[in-house]
Amino acid sequence: MTRPGAGPSVAISQQDVRRLCEFLYRRTGMSFADNKRYYIDRRLAERIAATGCGSFADYFAMLRADAEHEIEHLVNSFTVNETYFDREEHQLRCMTASLLDELLTRKGPDETLRIWSVPCSTGEEPYSIAIWLMEHWRDVDKYNIEIVGSDIDTSALQKAEQGIYGERALMRLTRDVVARYFKPLSPGKYQIDPGLRESIRFTHANLVDAADMAQYRDFDIVFCRNVLIYFDDASRRIAAENLYDCLRPGGFICLGHSETMSRISPLFRIRRFPDAIIYQKPGADHDEQQ
Amino acid sequence: MTSNSEAGAAAAPRRILVVDDSSLVRLYYRAALEKAGFAVDQAINGIEAMEKCLVERFDLVIVDVNMPRMDGLSFLRALRGSAPEIASLPALMISTEAGQQDRDDARAAGANFYLVKPVSEADLLSHVALLAGAP
Amino acid sequence: MPLIRRDDNKTAAPREPVADAAALTAALGDPDPDRRWRAARSLGSDAGAVPALAAALAAEQLPQVREAIMTALLRIGDAGAVAALLPSLRAQDAALRASAIEALQAMPEATLPFMTALFADADSDVRILATELVRNMPAETATPLLCDLLAHEPHPNVCAAAIDVLAEVGTPAAIPALQACASRFAEVSFLRFVVAVAIDQISGAEH
Repeated sequence: MTRPGAGPSVAISQQDVRRLCEFLYRRTGMSFADNKRYYIDRRLAERIAATGCGSFADYFAMLRADAEHEIEHLVNSFTVNETYFDREEHQLRCMTASLLDELLTRKGPDETLRIWSVPCSTGEEPYSIAIWLMEHWRDVDKYNIEIVGSDIDTSALQKAEQGIYGERALMRLTRDVVARYFKPLSPGKYQIDPGLRESIRFTHANLVDAADMAQYRDFDIVFCRNVLIYFDDASRRIAAENLYDCLRPGGFICLGHSETMSRISPLFRIRRFPDAIIYQKPGADHDEQQ
Repeated sequence: MTSNSEAGAAAAPRRILVVDDSSLVRLYYRAALEKAGFAVDQAINGIEAMEKCLVERFDLVIVDVNMPRMDGLSFLRALRGSAPEIASLPALMISTEAGQQDRDDARAAGANFYLVKPVSEADLLSHVALLAGAP
Repeated sequence: MPLIRRDDNKTAAPREPVADAAALTAALGDPDPDRRWRAARSLGSDAGAVPALAAALAAEQLPQVREAIMTALLRIGDAGAVAALLPSLRAQDAALRASAIEALQAMPEATLPFMTALFADADSDVRILATELVRNMPAETATPLLCDLLAHEPHPNVCAAAIDVLAEVGTPAAIPALQACASRFAEVSFLRFVVAVAIDQISGAEH
């Protein structure tokens, strides 16, 4: 494969790559087996060229300072960063197989189950959650469920409200599911069924703004993927405390599959379920309260 | 991440989880343990160690005390309070903290042995052998 | 359709009246942990609250409330906030030490003026923890600080901690100090090992 746009290449030694990998591991928890190092090499060379850094040392300084969100750019260059329906299906399966049963033991029949997708980007995640619940949860008709999608990017929110997606975003859904919840608009374009669109509220939210976050309370499950890990130390702490306040005691928080709470916050308990590791706000039952 | 977590093949080496926030310390232990024939995985703090213990089988955990977000003593207390299959995981605690109170705290948290850094390769391996047997 | 939508914010907790600073600092000592947590979270924009936060930190037993107090101090982020966090480095409770390190690491500019004193502390455990505080500083700041420490440091564990940070942040200017340290502790195999790795890693940046 050719690398268009890569400028004169900067020398990268094995030691540089090792130093970079140690840094990324400490900072994000991502680790790369030795046999993946050639892959890192290439991406690293691309990022050095893209940032105009003259040497690995310059680039590493930029990365350490997280100037221009370079950590996020670098990690994105390693990973496929597409959003599509039912991305991270194991967490959705975990929700219907384990989380809801546990949450409902603490709920009366009239209480609403509240689920929050933040950041929700262009809406694939909150719609996936809704569709998954209707398709896979036997008790879906017995409870009131409220799903909220929030993002800091208002243009993404507008797209979420429109609910129009291309074929690629729907690649994980079966034909039946697409037929049930989408209306074909034009070749290759589908729009979420109006009833479903209207049942989800999309709002603006800034995870590090405590005053803004104060309007979000009493959630049972929060999906917060691929954002906390990129915040700086102070913002990460503040956002984690904000999310803690948004959850009910015993409520769950789901991170992205390559994220770990070990790099984010000590506030939550680690829970292992058959389908996934999920984090929980303590305090649902008395024996765990200090 | 390694995938040979399934206990089964009799020839599979014993697995050790090294938990320390210092990359050089992890590297030092890893080099010594792998040379002796053990399989080694790593974690940077107590939270990551707990995540790994909940999904993979280990024969021993080597754990530091001072680490960010979850220290080694909090980790050991959480481990000892977990499901029986992981609560009994042998733990070798190796720390810079050299006081009697530190040793007592480690014992109370569930450490089987407590060593003060810096440890030599021979010291490390002899204590590992006591807790995990041969590789 | 079981999905319901609410466009008002009825579910949000009723907004509490904005409490004044005196009420908030008093609430730091409330018997109810939720109130202490909320008070700490509200005081992060009030530099005048540092003495009250410092006193609360010394008394607080619940880890999550301590966490919120420390976040408030790091948001304030001045020299007084650093001074309020430093006593926790001497705590017998390892969790408290870990939280304090993390908070201080998030405020490198404010912590910098304290580094000389911390690296000269009589307690080697404090010096070890202090090495972590330069990890988020620029390489040009961190390297001479750690090299000065290495030059005089009698305790091998303090040296090892400093070398671990240098392996990540150090410039090639650290290599002579690393070599000198290895020869000073030639009998400690662990130190020889970490010096060799650190030098290898740092000199990779020279090409």
